[in-house]
Amino acid sequence: MRKSTPYLLLLPALLFTFFVLVYPLAQNLVNSFRQVSLIRGSGGWVGVQNYAKIFGDSLFWLSFRNTLIYAIAGTMLSVLTGLGFALLLHEKIGRITSLMGFLYTIPWVISPVVAGFAWKWLLNDNYGIINYWLVQTGIVNEGITWLGDVHTALIGVIVARVWQFYPFAMVMLMAGLQTIPQEQYEAASVDGATPLQRFIHITLPNLRSVMSVLLVLGVIWSFNDFNMVFVMTRGGPINASMVLPVLVREFSFVHFDLGRGSALSVMVFVLLASMSFFYLKVLAKREAQ
Amino acid sequence: MKHRAILIAFVVLISFSCGKKDNVVEVQFWNFGGTVNFMKWVRQRIETFNQTHPGIRVVQSDKSWNMIREILYANFSAGVGPDVMTVHANYAAEFGGAGFFYPLNKFPDFEEVKRKYEPNLFESGRYKDDYYGLPSAAIAFVLVCNKALFDREGIRPPKTWSEFREAAKRLTKDTNGDGTIDQYGLVVMGGDKGGFAYRLIPFFLKAGVNFMSDDMTKITFNTPRGVAALKLFADMYQTDHSITPGFLAYTLSEINDLFSGNRVAMSIEGPWFRAMVQEKSPGNDFYTVPVPVPDDMIAQYDTAPTLQDMVMYPISAQSKHLEETWEFLKYIRNEESDMAYVRANLGAIATTNFALNSPEAEQYPDMQVYRHELQHARPWPAHPAIIPIVNNVLAPYGQKAIAGEITPQEALDLAAKEAQEIVEGKK
Repeated sequence: MRKSTPYLLLLPALLFTFFVLVYPLAQNLVNSFRQVSLIRGSGGWVGVQNYAKIFGDSLFWLSFRNTLIYAIAGTMLSVLTGLGFALLLHEKIGRITSLMGFLYTIPWVISPVVAGFAWKWLLNDNYGIINYWLVQTGIVNEGITWLGDVHTALIGVIVARVWQFYPFAMVMLMAGLQTIPQEQYEAASVDGATPLQRFIHITLPNLRSVMSVLLVLGVIWSFNDFNMVFVMTRGGPINASMVLPVLVREFSFVHFDLGRGSALSVMVFVLLASMSFFYLKVLAKREAQ
Repeated sequence: MKHRAILIAFVVLISFSCGKKDNVVEVQFWNFGGTVNFMKWVRQRIETFNQTHPGIRVVQSDKSWNMIREILYANFSAGVGPDVMTVHANYAAEFGGAGFFYPLNKFPDFEEVKRKYEPNLFESGRYKDDYYGLPSAAIAFVLVCNKALFDREGIRPPKTWSEFREAAKRLTKDTNGDGTIDQYGLVVMGGDKGGFAYRLIPFFLKAGVNFMSDDMTKITFNTPRGVAALKLFADMYQTDHSITPGFLAYTLSEINDLFSGNRVAMSIEGPWFRAMVQEKSPGNDFYTVPVPVPDDMIAQYDTAPTLQDMVMYPISAQSKHLEETWEFLKYIRNEESDMAYVRANLGAIATTNFALNSPEAEQYPDMQVYRHELQHARPWPAHPAIIPIVNNVLAPYGQKAIAGEITPQEALDLAAKEAQEIVEGKK
């Protein structure tokens, strides 16, 4: 075999990576320093003006805050819900356990767009089943305008996000639960530990590394999540649920300012890359343990 | 040897399949939106065209009306747009001005075609000296009043703002006695910024407010009358609670659900609405009346302008088949085609003199109201930045005012300031 053969064999994969990943990223970076408009074309270099405009835009800060809430609250609630279901399934209550395990994972395999539309209808203020239940059970007197109220729209999309992400957390945590040595529980029982004490002092510490991975991964994915918010609210009403990925689209394809859209996506990219770096660190630590 | 033969056969096959199949020119037509019946009719009409024009094949593709601008800009910028499409008439200034639409007046028989259309409507597809589209469906924004709810309450459709507000208040009620409001006076489209502005601005126009100065250098909508129009909605939402609480999330589909389900009494709509309601709830009837005027302008009730819009068919300036596309355009918008708009309820008002003056037009539901309103209606100013101003400036500030985040005066002043910066090219 010639020395160059391995490189030649690698070439198609490298070219593919270059054209679908490196080139668009580099072009995006270049665009972020230029005035690029879909309407007026490219207007030349503007230095860091696009970035400065974004930092001076109150909508960016609102979106940043919303994204943080969406990502952190959505992920934490998903992990907690996933933990609850994982513990339930881990108890193996009869034959229905595997059936329930299958049912609980369904949200994860549903497309976010389909899930978004489904939740939009579930949360509809006039015909939605959620409001119907809430009113029927007497929890509220009248239907809540979930997606049409600036105070509840973000909560609505977080609920949908939790519904979609918790099965992943559940599966990961179930795997984590199975690795906990049974002897630890037996020893604790002999010492007279209550179920709550066993959960706090044995289960949770053993799941810590899985949970850290889940939290980092969940935040990264939520930070990057466009579909759910766009389908359900498009960032509205009055930008109350605007998140950064939807704002990138708003800058690029509503205001047709690709320069500003590119600058914002570079900022999101840097943030996500930092989080991914942190995730890899957590992963390395976990593997070392 | 065998492998080589297969390879050669494969290459030959590929070469033939990539080549021109026949001498047929393919014209790409993107249809944005329309009622179900309208889309069916367009499809049938194209089939007939393809059968009767052997050298041309029109390929139709249905697209979302809500994403029309981004779809067109993205595709035009990449040079892969359609040959012909349906758009709002006010796209003439923006897309025509940017060189994306082909000036139809360059075709030798243009004047002959132009004569067939109602002149006012034809003009709304003009930007500067060029015409960028053949009119398809004329639109005047009107007030639709749910007949069952109005009749039950024993009230007539409102003519003035006071009557409008009072009617909305009376029609907002708890109908089943469970202690919660389940019927509202008014629904407004708030989930689509453009759709919201199109429903708000008729009240400005009825109050005599101009959007821009005649020379289109100054934004003029933040007058006391403009503020009063916005305040009317803000008061109805915040004080009377007669506008559906969740309107900020509603698109046309939710409005249709509520209206057809007798959950709201009024909405600001256009010719598509009757067809939509009939599709959803056959037999559900409503009054179609002009948008109310301020109380002190009741004398101008019959002449005050509403917002005029129009759907038109422009040709892409990037089209490689201009002649064939023009041929198709003349066919899909000829007088025979336009007669379908008055014979069946496609949710569109005809635009040719022939169809508008035909005896069948007299039978068309609401035709009298629409024809009357179209006589006085005004289109958006033909400014290239009008759509960004309407969608990205006026609508968000208007919504903030109605929701109570800022006052109507603040909203219009801020919107006017931002819009002025856009007009002056500073933003």
